[in-house]
Amino acid sequence: MICCIEIALKKELRDAEGTALIKKADSYFGINIQEARCINIVTIESDLDHLQRGVVKDEILTNPVTQVSSLKPLNIGFHWCVWIGFRPGVKDNPGATAMEAVTDHLGKNFGPDEGIYTSKRYCLKGDTLVRKDVEKLASELLSNTIIQQFKIFSIDEWNKDIGADVKPAKVILDHTPCFEVINIESDEQLAKISDERSLALNPRDIPVIRDYFLDSKVIESRKKVGLSEPTDLELEYISQARSDHCNHNTFQGIFRYKDASNNEEVVENSLFKTYIQEPTLKLKDKKDWVVSVLWDNAGVGRFDGENNYVVTGETHNSPSNMEAYGGAITGIVGVYRDPMGTGLGSKLFMGSFGYCVGDINYNGPLKPPLHPRRLLDGVIEGVKDGGNKSGVPTTFGQTLFNPGYMGKSLVFVTALGIMPNQVKGKPSHEKKTSPGELIIMSGGRVGKDGIHGVTASSESYSENTPAGHVQIGDPYTQKKMHDFLLICRDEGLIPFITDNGGGGLSSSIGESAMISNGCVVFLDRVPLKYEGLDMWEIWISESQERMTIAVKPENLDRFMELSAEHEVESTVIGEYTDTGKLHIKYEDETCAYVDMDLLDKGFPSWEFDATWLSPETRGLTEPVISSPSDFNKLLLSMLERPNLSSKEWIIRQYDHEVQGGSVIKPLVGVKHNIPSDASVTRPVLTSSKGLAFSQSLLPWYSKIDAYHMMACTIDEAVRRVMAVGGNFNHIGGLDNFCWPNIGFDPKKNPDGTFKAAQLVRACRALKEACEKYEIPLLSGKDSMYVDGHLVGEFGERVKVSALETVQFSATSVIDDISKCVTMDPKVSGDLVYVLGVTTNELGASEYYEAFDKTGLNVPHVDFDKFKVVYKAVQTAIENELVASCHAVGRGGLGVHLSYMAMAGGLGLEINLKDLPMNESRGSLLSETLLFSESAGRFIVTVSPENKNFFEKLFKGMAASCVGFVTDLHDHLKILALNKEILIELSMEELEKAFNKTFGDMI
Amino acid sequence: MKKVNALILTGFGLNCDNETAHAFELAGAKSQKIHINALVSGKIKLEDFHILAFGGGFSWGDDHGAGVIQALKLKDHIGSDLLSFVAQGKLIIGICNGFQALVNLGLLPGLDNDYTKRTVSVTFNDCGNFRDQWVHLTANLQSPCVFTKDIQMADYPVRHGEGKFIADREVVDTLLANNQVVFKYADIQGIPAKGAFPLNPNGSMEDIAGICDPTGRIFGLMPHPEAYNHFTNHPDWTRKAQLLKREGKILDQEMTIGIKLFKNGIDYIKDSFF
Repeated sequence: MICCIEIALKKELRDAEGTALIKKADSYFGINIQEARCINIVTIESDLDHLQRGVVKDEILTNPVTQVSSLKPLNIGFHWCVWIGFRPGVKDNPGATAMEAVTDHLGKNFGPDEGIYTSKRYCLKGDTLVRKDVEKLASELLSNTIIQQFKIFSIDEWNKDIGADVKPAKVILDHTPCFEVINIESDEQLAKISDERSLALNPRDIPVIRDYFLDSKVIESRKKVGLSEPTDLELEYISQARSDHCNHNTFQGIFRYKDASNNEEVVENSLFKTYIQEPTLKLKDKKDWVVSVLWDNAGVGRFDGENNYVVTGETHNSPSNMEAYGGAITGIVGVYRDPMGTGLGSKLFMGSFGYCVGDINYNGPLKPPLHPRRLLDGVIEGVKDGGNKSGVPTTFGQTLFNPGYMGKSLVFVTALGIMPNQVKGKPSHEKKTSPGELIIMSGGRVGKDGIHGVTASSESYSENTPAGHVQIGDPYTQKKMHDFLLICRDEGLIPFITDNGGGGLSSSIGESAMISNGCVVFLDRVPLKYEGLDMWEIWISESQERMTIAVKPENLDRFMELSAEHEVESTVIGEYTDTGKLHIKYEDETCAYVDMDLLDKGFPSWEFDATWLSPETRGLTEPVISSPSDFNKLLLSMLERPNLSSKEWIIRQYDHEVQGGSVIKPLVGVKHNIPSDASVTRPVLTSSKGLAFSQSLLPWYSKIDAYHMMACTIDEAVRRVMAVGGNFNHIGGLDNFCWPNIGFDPKKNPDGTFKAAQLVRACRALKEACEKYEIPLLSGKDSMYVDGHLVGEFGERVKVSALETVQFSATSVIDDISKCVTMDPKVSGDLVYVLGVTTNELGASEYYEAFDKTGLNVPHVDFDKFKVVYKAVQTAIENELVASCHAVGRGGLGVHLSYMAMAGGLGLEINLKDLPMNESRGSLLSETLLFSESAGRFIVTVSPENKNFFEKLFKGMAASCVGFVTDLHDHLKILALNKEILIELSMEELEKAFNKTFGDMI
Repeated sequence: MKKVNALILTGFGLNCDNETAHAFELAGAKSQKIHINALVSGKIKLEDFHILAFGGGFSWGDDHGAGVIQALKLKDHIGSDLLSFVAQGKLIIGICNGFQALVNLGLLPGLDNDYTKRTVSVTFNDCGNFRDQWVHLTANLQSPCVFTKDIQMADYPVRHGEGKFIADREVVDTLLANNQVVFKYADIQGIPAKGAFPLNPNGSMEDIAGICDPTGRIFGLMPHPEAYNHFTNHPDWTRKAQLLKREGKILDQEMTIGIKLFKNGIDYIKDSFF
C-alpha cells in the first residue's frame, strides 16, 4: 500500500529554499516568480496501517512548531506546481534515514518490496509565468534529468485529491543473475565483444588475453572448476585492472620525445618511474619523516613522536560534468575513504577543494552538458554536504575560471588523515592479507552504480531502470563506518583494509589478494540494493561507502559486535588464500578462476609520440600594449576579475573548524575575508604542533610552456606554506595532473603529440622542483582526458580542451603553532619588505589576459636562489621577526598589495623604485612591476625594532624595504619609479572592487 | 580527587565528540565518548555521569529536520533516564546539532516544568545556506544558566544551516522574562545585533543564540564553545598577539572563554554533588 505524506513550513515562516529559487530564477533566466513554497513529500510503500501512518507523519516527520503536514496533498496555492523526484536507483539519503527512523520508532521491519522515498514539489506564484518558463526552471535549475524526473502542473491540471501522484522510485530488474562465456576465437572477435560490452580493452592487450586463456595449462586447470573460455566477469576484471584509472598506463607508458628546436630525441620509458618514483624514493632515504610512499591509498608522513599523517588527492571530473552535485559529493566522500584505507586506517582531519570551471556568465552558442554557472552551484553544494556531513573541516580551497574548462570542468578533492604510528605495538602504516583471513565488505550495499561510467548514460530509460551511472555520495553511512573502523583498528582487529572506489570489489579484492596470493569470493553473499544483478556487475560495481577488510576468523565475533553497535552493515564475502588463484563463485558455480599473476603476463606498455615546439617556434611574442594612464581604474578592474576577486561565499559554506584544531583559517584579516596563503590545523589537540597545508593552480602558464607551469605551481605552493610558518625541511608534495588527451589522431586529436610533449616537460619540472626543494611526492593522481565535444549553433560538435593543469598541494609540520603568521599587516609604522626579484614576466599573466593576450615571458623559477630566501623566511618567522607574510601570486604585486591592505585594514605606502628588480628579461615599466607574476616573491611587514636583525638575515639576498604601514589613512598608495603617485585607492574602493563580482552571493 | 564525569554522545553522524571531550578534559572533567546505542542497549548507564553533552554534527544526516531523529530515538529508548537525570539536578548541554536535539526532545525550554514539550524550533538560516563564521555573543547576566556564570561576552564560531531560533511570540517573551535567553548575537561591543546579518548569522528571533531551562541546568546554544579550546582558534589571535607584543605583553595562552564555559559546569557539579 502506498501513501504520501506532504510536509511544508507554516505559512508565516520564511521559506529559505523558495526564496533562493526566486532569486536564482531571476538572476539566471530573468524569470519573475512572486512566491515560491517548497513541499517535502515522503512516499511510503508498506503494510503500515492508517494509525501507524499518522504516527510516522506526526511523530517523525512533522515539527509541530514550524511545519504543517497531511496524508493528502497540502492545499497551498500556486499558478504552477513542479514536482521533482529521483529516478529509480538513485541514492535517496533522506528516504534511507526515514526508514531507519520508522524501523526504530515503530519496531517495523521493511520487507524487500517495501520502502520509503522522498521527493519535493514547488508551488510557484507569478502572474507572468508561462509553461515554457516553468519547464526551464524544472529542467535547468530544479532537476537534472540524469538522476531526477519532474512533472509540471498548472492550477487547472491539478487534482487536489491525488496531488502529484507520486509512485515509489524503486528498481525492478526482473532478471535472473547469470554469467556468460565469451568467444575468443580471434583477436577481431574479442575486439568486437569488447566494443559491444564497453570493456574498453586496449587492442594491444587483446592478443595477451587470448594467449593466456588458450594456454593448454590454463585450459587444463580451468576445466577442473568447470570453465573453458573466459567468462564476462573475468574479462571485466582484466578490463578494470588494465584501465588507465587503475593502472596509470599513461604515466607508465613509453614517450618518444622530440624537441624540434634543438633536435633532442629521447625515449622516456616511464614518466612515473623517472620523474616521480626515483626522486621520491631517494628523498625517502634522506628524510626520516617520510614514512610510506607510492604504494598505498595515500602517502604517510611523520607528524610527531606518536602520530603519522596521511595525505591524498583525487579528481572527480567526468561525473561532476554530468551531474555536478552528485559528482562532487561522491568525489569528496570518495577521497575521504582513501585515508580510511591507508595503513591500518586513519582518522580524517581535513580536506580541501579546487574547482576549475568555464566562464560562469557564458552566453555563447556552445552547449556544455551543464552551464558553468549551474555546474559550479552544484559542485559547491556537493562538496558542502559531503564535507560538512563527514565532520571533516574544509580548510583550504580555490576556484578558477577559464573557457577551456567548459569542455570539462575539474573538481579536485584532497583528504588528510592522522593515525597513531603504532597499533598494538606494530607500525600502523604496514598492512597485509594472509591465507585464512576472511574478506569482509563493510558499509553500503551494491547496486548498478558506476558500472562502465558514462557509457550507461546513452542507454534508454524505462520507469524502473536504475539511473546508477551517476551516484550520490552518502556521508552519513560513511561517517558511521569511519567511527566504527577506527575502533576496530585500535582493538587490533584489522590486519588489512582498503576502500572500494574505481573498479569496486574487482580492484579492492583483486589487489589485496595479491598479497596473500589468492582468494575465494562468494558473490551471492554480497548484500545488494535490489535483486537481479549479474555476477560481473556485482564484481565491478562502484557503489559507494564501502571498505574491504581482512579479519582473522578468531576476531570475527568482536568485529561483528562493534559493527552492529554502530549500525554498519558488514558481511563476510570470502576468504584470502595462497592458491595463486582468483576464484569467484556464485552459489555452487565458479564464475572466475584465473591466476593471481595474470596481470604480469607481459601486457604491452602504451606508447606516445611527443613533439615539443618551443613558444618561439609557435610564434608567441610579447604583445604590444602601451602603458596605461589610469592605474587606479586598472587595479580596480583587476580586483573585479573572477580569478582575483573574493570567493568568500564558497569558503563560508564549508565548515572549516570542526574538530576544534583550526589555527590559521582559510579567510584571514580584520574582516576575515581575504584568502589565506595556507591553512594550519592541529590534528592532535593535545599537541602544539600544526599541519600547514596549501595548494596552487597556475594552468595559464601552460599556454606558453607546461614546464614553467609546473615549476611555478610547485614554487607557489611551497611559498604559501612557508608564508604561514612552514618548515622547509619538511615539505610533502601531492601532484594531481589533469591533462587533455595526448594520444595523437590526425582527425580527432591533431595536437596530441604537442600535449604529450607538454606532459613530459611538466614531469621534468616536477622532478627538478622536488629534487631542488627536497619534496617527496607523498601521493599523486592523474586524469588524462579533460576534453569535451560541445554542440554548437549549427549542430556541429566543437572539441574544447582544458589547459594542461596540475594542482600541487604542499604539507608541512610546524613545531610550534604559536609562531604562525598571517598575511594581514598589523601595526602602523611597520616596514614593508618585498623579498624576491621582480622581472619582466607578464607571459600568460592575469594582466595580459585582461587584454586577451598571452605573451611569451612566462615566469621562471630559480630553485637554487629561491630556496635560500625561503630558509631565511623560516628563520625570520621562527625568531618572531615578522608581523605578517604573504606569497605574491596571480595578479602580481599590485593585486597582492591590495589584498594585504584590505586584510590589515591599514594604509600602505609603497615605492616601486625600491623593489628588488632586474631587466634581464625585458624593460620594467610601472605595469610590469605591478602585474608581473615573477615567482619566488613575498611581501612581509616588520616592526622597525626588528629592522636590523631582519636585514642582516636577508643580507645578500633580493630583499628591500619598499614602504610602510600607516593608520594615518586607509589608502593603498603606490609611487611610480619616477616617484609620482601611480595609485591611490581607499579601502572602500578596493573592497568594493574585490567584492563586486561575487560579493552578493551567500 | 573525585572527578566530574561527562558523557559525550557519539555515533549516527555526530562529529564534534572528540573536541567536546577534549574541552571537558581541559576544564577538569573526566570525559567519555559514548555511542548512542551503548545507552540504548543499557551497556552504559546515564546515572553514572554528572554532565551529558549533546554535541555538534549531522545526526542522521540532518534529514527530516536537524536533531529530529536523534531526539526521537533518545526519547523512545532512554526518555525516562533523561528525565530522572534532569530531576537529580545534573547538567545537560546541547551544542549546535545537540541544541537542535534538545529542543526536539522538549528538554528545552522546559517551561512549566514540562521537559517533553516542543515549543521552540531551530530552523533554516534566513541567508539560505550553511555558514561558518565567528560571532560575538553577549550573555545575560541575570540568567540562571550555570554554564555562563561570570561570562559577559564571548566569541565562538557558528557552523550551521539550521540555526534560526523561532517560537511563538508569547513563548519568546516568557523566555526573555524568565532570563532563559542566555546568549544573544551581538556586535563587538556586545550590543545585540537586532537581526542584522552577518552579526546575527541566521535571522534568529531576538538574536537568540542560546537558551536554558528555568533551572539553568539545561543549556543549548548554536555556537561552538568547544571549537575555542585553544588560543589559536580565535580568528584574530595573530593580530592580538602582535599588538600585545609591541606593548611588551604576551597573549593569554591559558583558559579560553570556550573552556571557561565547560569549567563553569564542572564547578557547579563540584559545588552541588561533592
